[in-house]
Amino acid sequence: MSDSQTTRRRFLLAALAFSTVAVTGSTWLRGAAAWASSTDGTTLARFGRLLFPHDGLSDEVYADVMNNVLMALASNPDTENLLAAAEHALDAQQDTAWIERDESEQIAAIEKIPREACFAAILGTLRGALYYSPALWSHINYPGSSKEHGGYKFRGFDDIDWLPENS
Amino acid sequence: MAKKYDLDDSSVVVVIGSGAGGGTVANELAQKGIDVVCLEAGSRLTLADVVNDPPAMDAKMGWHDKRIGATLLICKTVGGTTMRWSGVTPRIQDHEFRSLSTYGQLDNGTTFIDWPLTLTELEPYYDKAELKMGVSGTQGIQPSAETNNYKVLKAGATRVGYKEISSARMAINPVARDGRPGCQQISFCHSGCAIGAKWSTLYTEVPAAEASGHFELRANAMAVRINHDKEGRVNGVVYKDENGAMQEQKARAICVAGNVVETARILLNSESSMFPQGLANSSGQVGRNYMRHTFGLAFAVMPKPVNYHRGARQTGLLLDEQINNPQRGFVGGYQLQPAAADPWFTSHLIGGWGRDHTVFTDNYTRLAGIFITGEDPPEAGNQISLHATERDAQGLPVPDDEYKNHSNTNAMRNHAIKASRRIYESLGATDFWGGDASMGCHNMGVARMSENPDDGVTNRWGQAHDIKNLFVSDGSLFSSSAAGNPTLTIVALAIRQADHIAERMSQKEL
Repeated sequence: MSDSQTTRRRFLLAALAFSTVAVTGSTWLRGAAAWASSTDGTTLARFGRLLFPHDGLSDEVYADVMNNVLMALASNPDTENLLAAAEHALDAQQDTAWIERDESEQIAAIEKIPREACFAAILGTLRGALYYSPALWSHINYPGSSKEHGGYKFRGFDDIDWLPENS
Repeated sequence: MAKKYDLDDSSVVVVIGSGAGGGTVANELAQKGIDVVCLEAGSRLTLADVVNDPPAMDAKMGWHDKRIGATLLICKTVGGTTMRWSGVTPRIQDHEFRSLSTYGQLDNGTTFIDWPLTLTELEPYYDKAELKMGVSGTQGIQPSAETNNYKVLKAGATRVGYKEISSARMAINPVARDGRPGCQQISFCHSGCAIGAKWSTLYTEVPAAEASGHFELRANAMAVRINHDKEGRVNGVVYKDENGAMQEQKARAICVAGNVVETARILLNSESSMFPQGLANSSGQVGRNYMRHTFGLAFAVMPKPVNYHRGARQTGLLLDEQINNPQRGFVGGYQLQPAAADPWFTSHLIGGWGRDHTVFTDNYTRLAGIFITGEDPPEAGNQISLHATERDAQGLPVPDDEYKNHSNTNAMRNHAIKASRRIYESLGATDFWGGDASMGCHNMGVARMSENPDDGVTNRWGQAHDIKNLFVSDGSLFSSSAAGNPTLTIVALAIRQADHIAERMSQKEL
């Protein structure tokens, strides 16, 4: 594993711990554990995009981020099958594969995923993976670490210029 | 020079914790020539260890031992939560010290008491605390520089008629002072200040105490139990040392400052045949009346860029609503404070998913934000207790943190969210989110000061009602929460307590 992958994984695990998600004893999860994901990542990427839709981000970014989520969840026996189980749950709701349905139906299907055991852990981990990803930071113009640039004391911490006068 | 004391040296005061309360009381005692051993569960970082990487810093300095309950942002590191805090340092107001007299008892089981001390009595110590910490806009120190996020709040607040807003009361140097530099607006205050402009005991109280020649810091020393003698006076602290071996440091007196959760745990975990309910707990009040403040957040998408990630995470406060006016539908008051967060923490605080969520995160550079902190009524059922069976990696009973919002707290939060919305919409905000993030960063109560020993755990000096050489030195002492951030009051009380301990020692009472 490369250094950047190690760093990213540490980020995700920290974010997961911070979210204090507990995933144990879900019969729903145990039932789905044997079901193996057979997708090429398209479904997962779409799932990630609908959870946190940033229109300016490419499908490749979502695929990459969801791959990191998969990796982070796989490192814990309590969570390793969560994404596969979620995909299974999305597909199982109708005859049509989830990825083939229109957006409103896809969102409705996501809303039916069991909240407690599954969804909180996936959402918390995705939140960490996406909102610490360089691609997302670049998209929203967030530059990250600032101490090596001397902070923002001379780089616009007080540069707002559109507020009304005499307020 | 830093000293070394023998484990069986029973002349030392043992301080458990090196944060705002523990670090301060330890240094104040050491400056008076009293020998102190400070036990800190975490390790000792240097400024070079501080990076602008929140998860990495959380791994280095966060408290990760198992605990049941919501996320509490407490720290296990030398400096404690002064490494993570925002630096906002308001004083408690006069009427807030007289909480029962001002508010009366509310429905649904509040347990208000008046503080056993007054603002007038604490004022000289507030002065000392502000000088020690370098609080901006006080003691001849200039106010903090106005960040973009502050300017948005000030402009909106002014438009809707608020008056009392300033960029003062931050324990972050606006300019170099006391051997520490001025703020460079780095923006990662919650992950440790990389230059030491923000006050933290790691690089103020702890080295000052070491220089006194009357102080030894033991890092990676997790206190697990307090022992006592046949007369019921405490006489030693059992701790796990850096090699995992159990040690006992003998003590003349003991100050406990474990940021509320750990303070309650060690007192309750030190039960004995003489004190079957735990130490200092004949009243049954240890762990009870746990308060977190009315906690809330507001975010708005403004019409043009704010870039709230630039600059100190928090700067300044709005005090107009910190009054008691029950006609608003609740007792007590609250403060609105401009507050920013990195993209992940912004997303975490807002919670949820879908377009309702990303309308905020996708417009990150246009966000403005407010932290709401307000009076939180004490309730007996809001408490830190020891779980009956669950044990952590240290083999200690896991703290079980039960906390629910009182209806007064919910009414206050709703009022504060509406006020925040009005402020931002007056400037043309296009989207607004306000809510409770179901977490805590201000911990108070659980060993509160009380005039009547039946109502609390400690007296007006933070000295246990039951055991005269046992002191509590952190936010556990708060008789009520008041509205504002607790650290300045923790430090003022710790300075005052050190005076009291020194006086009692000189009178041979300790």
